[in-house]
Amino acid sequence: MTAIGATRPGAIDLAGLRFAFPGRDGAALPVLDGIDLSIPGGGIVALIGPNGSGKSTLLRVVAGLLEPTGGSARIDGDAITGPDARIGLVFQEPRLLPWRSTADNITYPLELAGVPVPARAERLKALVELMALETAAVDARPSELSGGTRQRVALARALALEPEVLLLDEPFSALDALTRERFDLEILRLWQRSGATIVLVTHSIPEAILIADRVVVLSPRPAHVVADIAVDLPRPRTIADLDAAVVSHTALRIRAALGDELALASDATPAATPAGARRAPAEVAS
Amino acid sequence: MNRPWVPVLLAFAVFVLVWKAIVIVGGLPPFILPPPETVAERFVSAWLDGTVWPHFITTLVEIALGLAVGVALALLAGYGLARSALFERLASPYLVAAQAIPILALAPLLVLWFGNGLASKVVICAVIVFFPVAIATMVGIRSVDGRLIELGRSLRATDRQILATIEIPGALPSIFGGLRVGVTLAVVGAVVGEWAGASRGLAVLLNLARGSLFDIPLMFATLVTIALVGVALYLGVVVLERRLVGAR
Repeated sequence: MTAIGATRPGAIDLAGLRFAFPGRDGAALPVLDGIDLSIPGGGIVALIGPNGSGKSTLLRVVAGLLEPTGGSARIDGDAITGPDARIGLVFQEPRLLPWRSTADNITYPLELAGVPVPARAERLKALVELMALETAAVDARPSELSGGTRQRVALARALALEPEVLLLDEPFSALDALTRERFDLEILRLWQRSGATIVLVTHSIPEAILIADRVVVLSPRPAHVVADIAVDLPRPRTIADLDAAVVSHTALRIRAALGDELALASDATPAATPAGARRAPAEVAS
Repeated sequence: MNRPWVPVLLAFAVFVLVWKAIVIVGGLPPFILPPPETVAERFVSAWLDGTVWPHFITTLVEIALGLAVGVALALLAGYGLARSALFERLASPYLVAAQAIPILALAPLLVLWFGNGLASKVVICAVIVFFPVAIATMVGIRSVDGRLIELGRSLRATDRQILATIEIPGALPSIFGGLRVGVTLAVVGAVVGEWAGASRGLAVLLNLARGSLFDIPLMFATLVTIALVGVALYLGVVVLERRLVGAR
């Protein structure tokens, strides 16, 4: 990671970003409707919004997997035209190759990039240590691992190429509440160690507040930015920080921004409903 | 299962005993159904005196080449069928039609075209092996999790890398299902091909034993040989499958 001037690498700039899925009969289905968002290098932003609001689509456009139909997406000033080695992506599911061991899954990006075997082994060692993976898990197949360990392996894989930007698409939504809390703290620890820019898509207001500098609220599809709320919570943060008055105040503002949309999206998942969101901060703090 | 061979041997013993019982109870003469010990004796002597050997080698070469050609073409076609809707629409009617014509009806024509040597047998084997392996490959490639391919793309994998590290390993269990069927059909293909016209091969020996030699125990010994070839090939595929697919 080479710093460009005084600013840290991994700055993301989205300007008037649009995306539409080509629909049947030539009618396009607009998903992103002019997203403007600037994230400085090394920042952490949480994206929150109702189900189906295009958060995952936005992440895929930034990851270079989908081509925008309008506007621009840039990393450190360069237009994103396809998957970029500076960007690591973690999906909602671990997406490990089931026929590979943990070790071979983690080094998979290095293998694709043509990194020689000794260097791969060295990087593997560092990643296993960083993600605190047990020795027994390293040689195991994904089917032998717990859900939490699988997602940790997926994180290690995303970090293999030392990306400047880490895109996390609700990576902990399948985990139980306690494991999820541990992972949130782990993300913070990783962020402090790597200095990477992190964009986290989440349904959980407390998770967003615990992790992010800013919480960006998206409207229902076609998505635009409804609110960009700063989280005035000092770092390093711990679970206990979620007791602070500033948290409930921030949560209130996020909920207000989400408010109208959530009233409409009453069939959203529990995590995204107002009731779930109201309850969650207290639960996490207790 | 400390001794996996025990039930296998027991089942074989039952098979032989039932065979022997049918011969005794039915009072069958050896030229209708020779008793197992006679067949075993003839099996051993035919192998030792070199009667079977040249025919066995001929058939084995036909099967090996037919399998190689048929499987290679089937893997390519199966991939094309899975990934190109146009190719599937254009090719599948012909594939199904070709499969619907019994190989027995096709074999004389193929011998007419390719002569009664090795080439016609290889073609017949390849034709009969092609369909199950191609369909299994198509199903296997289609069953590969699209999310894993998206992962590969996000890691900037080239098409070739995606093929080698995601599509082939993902399709392998299904492909092996097709190969299990394919190898046994390859034996059928070789026998049918030799039946339609050949000067050497296990089916030729079968014909000789039944006809001019009128050596019915030799005919049974040849049948046993053909069956063993099929079993050995099938086990070979299973062993390869265990090694390549393994536990997932």
